[in-house]
Amino acid sequence: MKPLDPRLLRHARAARWYVALTVALGILTAALVVAQALLLARALGRTVDDGAGLGGGAAWDAVAPLVGWLALVVAARVLVTVVQERYAHRAAARAIAELREQVVARATALGPRWLGDGRGPEVVTLATRGLDDLEPYFVRYLPQLVLAATVTPATLLVVLGLEWVSAVILAAVLPLVPIFMWLVGVLTQGRAERGLAAMQQLSAQVLDLIAGLPSLRALGRQRGPGARVQALGDAHRRATMGTLRIAFLSGMVLELLSTLSVALVAVAIGLRLVEGQLDLVTGLAVLVLAPEVFAPLRAVGMQFHASTDGVAAAQAAFEILDEPVPDRAGAAPCDDLRRTPVRVEHVSVHSARGQTPRDLSFAVTPGRVTALAGPPGSGKSTAVEVLLGLLTPDEGRVLVGDRVVVAAHEPATVDIASYWRQVTWLPQRPVLEPGTLAQVVGGDDERRAQAAAVTGLDTVVGELADGWSTSVGRGGHGLSVGQAQRVALTRALVGSAPLVVLDEPTAHLDDAAERVVLRTVEALRDAGRAVVLVAHRPALLACADDVVTLDVEHLAAVER
Amino acid sequence: MSAPSTATRTVTRPWPDALGTPPRGTLRRAVGLLEVSRSRFLLAVLLGTLALGCAVALAAVSAWLIARASQMPPVLTLSVATVGVRAFGIGRGVLRYVERLVSHDLALSGMTRLRTTLYERLADGRAGAVLGVRRGDLLARVGADVDDVGDLVVRGLLPASVAVTLGVATSTAMILIWPPAGLALVACLLLAGVVAPWLAGRSARATERRGAQARADVNAEALGLLDDAGPLTVAGHVPARLAALRDADLRARAAVDAGAGASAVAAGLGLLATGIAVLAALVTGVPAVGDGRLDPVLLAVVVLTPLAAFEATSVLPQAAVQVHRSRAAAARILALVDAAAEGPAATADGTAAVALPSDTAAGSRATAGPTPHDSPRADDDAPPTHLVAHGLVVGWPGGPTLVAGLDLDLRPGRMVAVVGPSGTGKTTLLLTLAGLLPPQGGSLTVDGGPVQPGASVALTAEDAHVFGTNVLENLRVARGDVTEDEAREALGAAGLGPWLSGLPDGLATLLGPDGRTLSGGERRRLLLARALVCPAPLLLLDEPTEHLDVAGADAALRALRGRADRGVLIVTHRLTGLDVVDEVVRLADGHVAARGTHTDLMERDADYREAVWHEHEETP
Repeated sequence: MKPLDPRLLRHARAARWYVALTVALGILTAALVVAQALLLARALGRTVDDGAGLGGGAAWDAVAPLVGWLALVVAARVLVTVVQERYAHRAAARAIAELREQVVARATALGPRWLGDGRGPEVVTLATRGLDDLEPYFVRYLPQLVLAATVTPATLLVVLGLEWVSAVILAAVLPLVPIFMWLVGVLTQGRAERGLAAMQQLSAQVLDLIAGLPSLRALGRQRGPGARVQALGDAHRRATMGTLRIAFLSGMVLELLSTLSVALVAVAIGLRLVEGQLDLVTGLAVLVLAPEVFAPLRAVGMQFHASTDGVAAAQAAFEILDEPVPDRAGAAPCDDLRRTPVRVEHVSVHSARGQTPRDLSFAVTPGRVTALAGPPGSGKSTAVEVLLGLLTPDEGRVLVGDRVVVAAHEPATVDIASYWRQVTWLPQRPVLEPGTLAQVVGGDDERRAQAAAVTGLDTVVGELADGWSTSVGRGGHGLSVGQAQRVALTRALVGSAPLVVLDEPTAHLDDAAERVVLRTVEALRDAGRAVVLVAHRPALLACADDVVTLDVEHLAAVER
Repeated sequence: MSAPSTATRTVTRPWPDALGTPPRGTLRRAVGLLEVSRSRFLLAVLLGTLALGCAVALAAVSAWLIARASQMPPVLTLSVATVGVRAFGIGRGVLRYVERLVSHDLALSGMTRLRTTLYERLADGRAGAVLGVRRGDLLARVGADVDDVGDLVVRGLLPASVAVTLGVATSTAMILIWPPAGLALVACLLLAGVVAPWLAGRSARATERRGAQARADVNAEALGLLDDAGPLTVAGHVPARLAALRDADLRARAAVDAGAGASAVAAGLGLLATGIAVLAALVTGVPAVGDGRLDPVLLAVVVLTPLAAFEATSVLPQAAVQVHRSRAAAARILALVDAAAEGPAATADGTAAVALPSDTAAGSRATAGPTPHDSPRADDDAPPTHLVAHGLVVGWPGGPTLVAGLDLDLRPGRMVAVVGPSGTGKTTLLLTLAGLLPPQGGSLTVDGGPVQPGASVALTAEDAHVFGTNVLENLRVARGDVTEDEAREALGAAGLGPWLSGLPDGLATLLGPDGRTLSGGERRRLLLARALVCPAPLLLLDEPTEHLDVAGADAALRALRGRADRGVLIVTHRLTGLDVVDEVVRLADGHVAARGTHTDLMERDADYREAVWHEHEETP
């Protein structure tokens, strides 16, 4: 684990100027620390040596200028600290935001299949909580790291100039610090990563249990998992304590080495003073400087644990950012789907259950309704993801005209955005933006009213106090599943995309609504729009022009 | 798995006492939930004080040693000091290590306790409290809030206690040596240990106040994007949603910026306090030495000790921020707990409240021992089995009436179907019949008593949760002792036989979070299989044939019909295949429009007949 990963500077622009500022302030701090020690030693040493018996006023006059300078140095150090702290928070928040946005954007671009393969909750935890652990890294850890690179060598050099025995002691101990840090770091690394994994797993499992609480209550089984939560927590505690026992070792080694070497320096100076080999001012200066040699290292050790979470989260983020995005960026604009059919040719996708679908071919033609039918698990939803260009198949390709939307063994040539602009997709769970019903559905009043009459949304709207101005939350929060489905259907009807993909659109709709959906599908067809239906229900299969039957065992067949 | 007896104790402890306390007791209540051991906490404080005390003592003794040595006394007079210096040098690191282990273990076990208590309170409390919470909120609450409350011990209470004890000890020693410098040290310790943390806490509150909404928006936007990546990509909404995320982050950052000024001043104050303490010791001490009122050797001690005395206070600004953060997190957790605790579901006549499951378990099965819920159907004590509703009125609490005047009779061996168009309150009716929502009126009893969710009546909701574990465990959700053979049988009856044989690890195959690796039909069948292994004598199912083809739907109904010792009520909008049920109740406009057997209704009810014919027409 690198203390400062270059990828952090590459991915988070805010981190770059912050590091520069911190280094500048670190050099300034080193100068001030040395000045403070020398001034303090001189003022104190002179008074102890010669002050006694001078009389109060004379003793004070002898050191007053030194104390004045000391006050100035203290004021300067306070100022430097304030500036450092002021900008640390800002830079941390900015860098975290930059990383969060990149992670979310990349995870979204990698597609639903990648997220669905168990990565989803991990990425969610990372994007919502994990990356925030970088704040202590930026605010506390990084500045101390920089001070360790400025104050530590500066003070050591000054000590060497003042008194070589102490410098030898300090210089002998100093290399032990990185050696032990490295040793402990090697021991801790795997554990810290496992700790993060354990935390994410714990969070996901407890979340899963609470999300399922209504179901558990309905079955009268809500009481048992309490013990499970306790057991998960205990396992997490044991794992974490195992990590901490080793992680804290680094802190202990650091403190032991630093305080012990300061003690040794104090004793060595004391003995040399007794023998008259040293003057008191030098001795005091070395005594004040000795802890400063180790102070930044000690602070690094103290913040080490807090920073590992952030560094581990950053690593996880970099892993996602290093994940190659499937190349979906063809250059050519997509042909007009109002005239050109979309052809799915010999598409196969490997899954845990074999190839679902296997060698699937069909055409989506303007003015025709194509139904995908087949038993559960035969790959209907996967076929839709391939058709939409969200998933690259393991075999076969999807073409518009003679251009490639997505293919197993050749690059895409269609600009996928221009393809998507011509598509409306209704997944099984409708995805609705927050806003008023009118905003969500879109279109002008007239079209909206016409479409709502067809889907039965008009009766739903009629019962709402605010009608079309009713606000709904993200994902249709505030609506029942059936109502949200109707909103999504209405939106599809209002839109003008030439290709409409409906994934089991009659779910949650009753017969009356199903009938009007059928009429609407027919209307879409009459308007020359291509419709792809994923459905089991006979009514929908009956209205389709082409029925594509997917089977787990056999080749897909097209009936007319 | 068996629940520890402590779980029962926690749940049955009288909670409403705590409800009466004012909001300013929030932190105290939350710490109570952590169940932190007082003696171990005091041990941690002692260890922490001794560790930092070693550092202060090292500074003081080495200052004395050097100043005294410069007067060239016999070496022997320094021997105690040289030994002391070395001992303090070692003690500090070792004591601090032990203290950190003790305090972190304390915090982690507290968090586990809080997590468990939270789960149990939600499990036993009002159903609506859980139904109303969205996923993103849950994530924030259970994860981050528990951590924040747990951090209170290590990062809040402990450093504060250590700073107080150490500050008192150091100041006392300094006042004894040279009162003016000692008093200046007291003032500076207050500046660094009280004023700076107060500033930092205030800045954190300001940041929090201005940033809370933005932070919540950031999480909601990130979650929304990740949840619906595919549809948003196709709809071309990803750039807009990323912009919304950036915008929310920008607002959160503005809040951070607004608070950063005060927190920066707080950080500077610590250094300022150290400087002033040193300067004060010099300014008062130097003339005193000149006048002979102060031993020069002791001047070195009073000037150099402050350099080490502020280590304990230096972490207090962060501690204040932590206390504030923990209090906010605790308030959210307690609000959730309180929402679950208030007004448990009422019975049919609206008078007596349905007892909490723990109470009923203790009352009706006193012999069942500490784990009554693990075997809800002990052989010697069969649960009540006859559900009767008279003039039942159904609706969400405080919401409009959805269904009124419903009579129902459900007992083992009987199968009833409630049909009607969507949006007529069928799901709400099921929640009411399952005892999860109080009826708005009428009566609802099982063998004359209130409905006990799960014991007599088990509900499989349309959106029932599929847990992120393996197939077998998902069935064991309904009954803990389902064997592998029973699981295969139930999955086969639900039409998942071929699916199961295609799974890489069979019953041990892990399902994705919330069953996302399942198709709609597979999910529906898995929930059906779960209902089939459920031990409750009365099953309620919401749309069990949704997402299934005709053959699958018929098979599902036949599988449910299968056992004579079980009563089944299904709610559906599909009429095909209902000839297997004993009674069909057709709802329309919030009332029973018609009821009877499928054959009866085909003869008598024109609307029913037309709907059935329509469904048949569509069958190819």
